[in-house]
Amino acid sequence: MIYQRLFLTALLVVYAVLAYATTTYEAPFSYEPVGPRAFPLLLLALLAAGTVYLIIRPGHMAEENADTPLTRQVLGRLVLCVLALSLFAFFFEKLGFVVSAFLFAIAMCRLYNGRWVTSVITAAVMALAFYGLFDRLLDVPLPLGVLSGLGV
Amino acid sequence: METLGYLGQGFGVATTPLNLLTALCGTLIGTVVGLLPGLGPINGVALLIPIAFALGLPPETSLILLAAVYLGCEYGGRISSILLNIPGEASAVMTALDGHPLARQGKGGIALSISAAGSFMGGLIATIGVTIFAPLLARWAVAFGPAEYFVMMVFAIACLAGMAGNKPMKTAVASLIGLLLACVGIDANSGVYRFTFGALGLADGIQFVVLVLGLFSISEILVLLERTYYGQSALKTSGRMLFNAKEAMLVKWTVIRSGVVGFFMGILPGAGATMASAVAYMSEKRMATRDNRFGEGDLRGLAAPETANSAAACGSMVPMLTLGVPGSGTTAVMLGALTLYNITPGPLLFQTDPQLVWGLIASLFIANVMLVVMNIPLIRVFTKILAVPYWALVPGIAIVTAIGVYGVHATTFDLFLMIVIGVVGYILRKFDFPLSAVLLGFILGGIMEQNLRRALSISNGELSILWSSPITWGGWALVVLMVVLPMYRGWRRRRAVVPASP
Repeated sequence: MIYQRLFLTALLVVYAVLAYATTTYEAPFSYEPVGPRAFPLLLLALLAAGTVYLIIRPGHMAEENADTPLTRQVLGRLVLCVLALSLFAFFFEKLGFVVSAFLFAIAMCRLYNGRWVTSVITAAVMALAFYGLFDRLLDVPLPLGVLSGLGV
Repeated sequence: METLGYLGQGFGVATTPLNLLTALCGTLIGTVVGLLPGLGPINGVALLIPIAFALGLPPETSLILLAAVYLGCEYGGRISSILLNIPGEASAVMTALDGHPLARQGKGGIALSISAAGSFMGGLIATIGVTIFAPLLARWAVAFGPAEYFVMMVFAIACLAGMAGNKPMKTAVASLIGLLLACVGIDANSGVYRFTFGALGLADGIQFVVLVLGLFSISEILVLLERTYYGQSALKTSGRMLFNAKEAMLVKWTVIRSGVVGFFMGILPGAGATMASAVAYMSEKRMATRDNRFGEGDLRGLAAPETANSAAACGSMVPMLTLGVPGSGTTAVMLGALTLYNITPGPLLFQTDPQLVWGLIASLFIANVMLVVMNIPLIRVFTKILAVPYWALVPGIAIVTAIGVYGVHATTFDLFLMIVIGVVGYILRKFDFPLSAVLLGFILGGIMEQNLRRALSISNGELSILWSSPITWGGWALVVLMVVLPMYRGWRRRRAVVPASP
């Protein structure tokens, strides 16, 4: 309950920042009665009202979320997973799709309790298969990165 | 009669080899995605949009693909509910209540076949409903002006919150967040950059694919991570695989009633398959007076939610096609896909793109037949898929997600944006905010603001235009009803609790 209130308070701060940001939204020349500022401000006001209501009366959580409490261990894995995703995004173009997807898939397999050998094999198959499927068959251009010298 | 002519034309579109093949692939993919625990129709449809785009499919074909996946998911969701007691998606939660006890009594085969038949009947009833009601509604909706549209969207949001059961305020906040996200980027009317904070990648707004995949794929990956500790094994199906005539007679009326209920629940914007299956289950439970064994493996308790969720999936196509207002999270994704093709959904669609609309409706009939044919004999194959471990599944989903997002603009900025949206989505989910409401808000946001501003331009800033026609009065009355309904329910619940405590 306390975490939810903290999160909601953080949301209120975000609304305030966004509302402040709208002060500069002036149409250079206006030919309609409602400018670009009104609608977002209306939404922010409604959001703030709703969020304050939830801070006062947060209500009960669904059972689905209640029976899997966030232990330190799970939290650690979540952070690792987000880190792996971010590194994947960061190296996506730098190392190219095949290499970054291979490394990323190993990390993900390991995170979801795959064994080392199976992880490496799965990752290699996935990286190559998805590259072939999307870049070659479906015409979604994917970066080759460090492999671009191979001339494939 | 005119309708039948159009429907015939639609079958002409739906039975071209490409569209038949697409429907077949869609139903197969849908069933598999639906049965995988944790993955539902929104995930399936969202992951397929970039692929449909990459394949260069024409709009009607990709819409047929998405609809087939949607319907397939409603079929597939029952398999993991019955055999694992883990609903593959939210709308299959009710199926597990009676389906899993049946499987434990060794009647898994009967449960699977009767629920497939129920899904088929539900889909059939609802598709007939779509054929009858959609053109009527479209003809009526042509009279809508910007003010009427705005009221309709307010109703959609109010409906979403009012039907959300125990958390109306959280649903309302979630949909407002979606509406606000739609404001990001350059404002089409004035050229002002809103909420971009100087980021070039946000200049033309948050891309629809990025938002959907972030919200549903990335947050799902994080949720699945929590569950890697909880191993579950599927029950074996043995004995008779097909239900007999006596069992069919037992559920006959349940199926028909639930199909009709599901269809009308599906039409309501925002209610969708989850609500429909819950309502159908509850009302059948109340109506069953003779040997009521609901909760311990009653066939009626299994047939009701399964019929209703398929019916609702088809029914939710009605507001999407006729009003351009999605009836569920999944149709919201489909609506987004249509706008990617530069097609504006709404009443005019019936006149400007009849082959798209009627092709879609006809292919609902076809997909439904394919699904029931596929689901009864092939059931053993599908149950094998339940054995795929997370460590093989999740990295695959993650990589396809990343490719889909990267494919939109070919920038890594979108990948980072997707991760941020995914993490925020995960947090919202942990605090019980429904993510499909965020998505619905995002889809409606752009059109809603445009219609509001257009209406006020017509009236020169007079707010009274928003309640100046009979349609708007009706709309506001419905909005008020939807706001009052959860308050009334809460009040009744509190009153029911008070006398019980001494």
